[in-house]
Amino acid sequence: MNLRLLLLIVLLTLSLPGQAVETLRVLTWPGYADSDLVKLFEKQHGVRVEVSFVSSDEVLRQKISANQGGNFDVFAANTAEMQHYINERLVVPLRLANIPNTAHQLPRFRKLQSIPGITRLGEAYAVPYTYSEMGLIYDRKQFVQAPTSLAAMWDPKYQGRVLAFDTSSHNFSIASLVLGGKPFRIEDKDFKGVVNHLIALRRNVLTFYTLPEESVELFRHHSAALLFANYGRQQLKLLRDAGADVGYVIPVEGALAWLDCWALTRGVKNKELAESWINFMLEKKVSSELTRRQGLSNTIEVDTEAADADKIIWLEPVEDDKRRAALWGRIISGDLPGRF
Amino acid sequence: MRYGIGFKLGLLLASFSLVAMGIVGYYSYASGRATLLAAAQRDLLTATHVLGRNFQANIDAVARDTLLLASLPASSAMVSSPESMPAGRDPKGLSDTFAAMMAAHPEYFQIRLIGADQHGLELVRLDRDDGKLVPVQADNLQEKAHYPYVFNTLQLGRGQVYLSDITINHEEGAHSGLHKPTVRVASPVLDDSGKVLGLIVINVDLNGLFDRLKSDLPSAYQLYLSNHWGDFLIHPNPAEAFGFDQGRRIFIQESFEPVAALINGKSASVVTNIDAIQQAGNGLVAAFIRMPFGGSVQKDFVILGLSQPLENVVRETSKLGWNTVQIILVLGVLAILLAALVSRAVIGPLRKMVDAMSVFSKEHVVNELSAARKDEIGLLASSLNDMQNIIVANMRDLNESRQALEHLAQHDPLTGLPNRALFDDRLRQAVSQARRDKTHMALLFVDLDAFKDVNDTCGHHVGDLLLNAAAKRMQACVRHADTVGRMGGDEFVVLLTHVEEDQDAVLVAEKICKALSQPFDLDGRSLFIGSSIGVALYPEHGSDELTLSRSADAAMYRAKESGGNRVSLFGS
Repeated sequence: MNLRLLLLIVLLTLSLPGQAVETLRVLTWPGYADSDLVKLFEKQHGVRVEVSFVSSDEVLRQKISANQGGNFDVFAANTAEMQHYINERLVVPLRLANIPNTAHQLPRFRKLQSIPGITRLGEAYAVPYTYSEMGLIYDRKQFVQAPTSLAAMWDPKYQGRVLAFDTSSHNFSIASLVLGGKPFRIEDKDFKGVVNHLIALRRNVLTFYTLPEESVELFRHHSAALLFANYGRQQLKLLRDAGADVGYVIPVEGALAWLDCWALTRGVKNKELAESWINFMLEKKVSSELTRRQGLSNTIEVDTEAADADKIIWLEPVEDDKRRAALWGRIISGDLPGRF
Repeated sequence: MRYGIGFKLGLLLASFSLVAMGIVGYYSYASGRATLLAAAQRDLLTATHVLGRNFQANIDAVARDTLLLASLPASSAMVSSPESMPAGRDPKGLSDTFAAMMAAHPEYFQIRLIGADQHGLELVRLDRDDGKLVPVQADNLQEKAHYPYVFNTLQLGRGQVYLSDITINHEEGAHSGLHKPTVRVASPVLDDSGKVLGLIVINVDLNGLFDRLKSDLPSAYQLYLSNHWGDFLIHPNPAEAFGFDQGRRIFIQESFEPVAALINGKSASVVTNIDAIQQAGNGLVAAFIRMPFGGSVQKDFVILGLSQPLENVVRETSKLGWNTVQIILVLGVLAILLAALVSRAVIGPLRKMVDAMSVFSKEHVVNELSAARKDEIGLLASSLNDMQNIIVANMRDLNESRQALEHLAQHDPLTGLPNRALFDDRLRQAVSQARRDKTHMALLFVDLDAFKDVNDTCGHHVGDLLLNAAAKRMQACVRHADTVGRMGGDEFVVLLTHVEEDQDAVLVAEKICKALSQPFDLDGRSLFIGSSIGVALYPEHGSDELTLSRSADAAMYRAKESGGNRVSLFGS
């Protein structure tokens, strides 16, 4: 008798409306889908949202590739990574008509064709959501006039007071930019010049930092004048919170920026629902919460400190990241110019 | 009776003893476990402190080596005139000194002399490459001014030592030390005027050092080290260490929450347990200390910790727990046996009493119970014996009274003859019998003549004696099977069954009449009475008892009217 009763309860439980509702499977980064906002979406659409988080591009690739994208409906990835997903046919084109909030995005995010890596053959595969550009942070006391160019990092006047980031890809990109070249497509013949310029950078910096907290400590205790803000405005906030009198500029050469976009997997179960999710993320309230909570820029509102004219260079896959990494390893280790 | 009092009593006794043993067992297990845990935490904390002190002593020794090398005149000379002694040239034989020191210290990856000029170009560098020591040639020497261990050390004064943050050494060409967790211990090299012109750096193999330090500890102990942000630098699972080196942060305070108090400086040491549920796999007992360690300007400490599988710690308690369970099981069986014996001892006599009672109630036979015992059971047995005897005596009295009452209800108390009720009953039976057997019978009504006069003249006492005597005479005149009854007053009836001839009944009536006409000697006088007797025969004068009675009555009246002292047959 007890067994039958149990079975009955189980059946009743299974048949409750809670199980019948649709589930949207979201894969994203910490801070992009806070539970209160998720609950709001669930209430609006009468669905259940299952949010999973990743903390690196590699893990994101693994999770989306597994089961040919069948494990998730919608996910967020940056522009440089989107190429991979389009190439692997792990994403499907979006119907922008179903995402009306794209009309309220800032102009530079509305022209999807101008953002490399998210369209192909006239189809949009991703919609921008949030970005962070890598500008320059400077000490207002040491700079009478705010620096305007990345070249300031090479300025002997600030030797030993420049903080650069320990990264192969971006450093090659900015060195190439400073030399007047393309950031993501360095020609073979130009590599030697870029390497030498990076050695010059090495000789001018105090050091290359890795962690944001580390950069704050170094900036404050070594009276640094200039800092390449790999972590963007978040890093600016950290420094200001630590009491530094610092300014932030987008250099004339342009600031490298990652741009995270929402995209639908090939395994999306309910395309309309997944598009509604993207539309929801682009609502002014939701996007501004992201900025308020995470200090990241959204695509709806103009940041008070950002000007429309600022040149932003969205990250793209580079010509040969392994080559850049190998060379960078030797540059930072202190190899003399003659050895390259 | 299956689950009788014996079973219940046994069960109660057994379960009480089991519960008592269970509680004692559980508390001894729990307190034993807590004691062992506390002891293990204390041991771990002590071991961690010892390990920390040993580590610091080792680092201090490295610092002394660094200072020694920095103070060598050869070092000073090298950095003072780099032009005369270009990089890679080692006229002073510093390399040999470095080699001697590295041979004595297998945990040294690298010893270098770095100049302040030329962007921190290495001047002399000796690397360990597996078993060999490799002097690095001029072409391969590198510029290191942008490394914190260089620019920080160059700001120090004579006799001061810089300890770097613990990082993975990604400096290309570092031989054995490449991509290994490394501590750099550095000290400035000064010229005669006290100007800092270079530095000596010793790269220490962190894992090698800790492996050596840890070899003194029990093998089950696992080591943790984190920097002042909480990033794991050493973790039992190497993939969890130096997460920031692969772009992710794995914090010790997330694995071991209490460690947060060490990082924010609220305490200097913590101990903690992690249950098996939280930790996939096995639980842990762990101790952590905040250990001063140079490097960063403000937050100059690292977190050092040791853990031990909870299982190892509580293995003894588990054994204790299992032993307790075994003891309880064995004692439980004993308790059940004992309970069975006890209940049998109590229940046996009770069963005997119950059997005796049931025999008594069925057969009213007294079974004397053994009342030899002096306890409550014996008392109960003797009480039951008394009760049985009393019941038997009472029943006997009751039977006698009942019989007496019954007799009284059916007989005339004066003469002892059947009264009207009994007589009517006998008459009814006799009529039925006669009707069934087709036999004849007779009913006689006898009325004493002049009895009223006797009563009036001689008193009721004599009247009663007379009635008694008349009854006896009548009884003497009839057969044993016939019935003489008294209807009341001076009226008697006689029932003669199985009368062969009608005349026989009249003969008996006349015999009675004659007997009653004889004088009665009563109370000293002789009294004469007669009797009027009416005779009715069955079935001639009545086929049922009522008609028969009326006929006899009518015949009796006729006899009385005819002068009395005679017999009158109905209808003649």
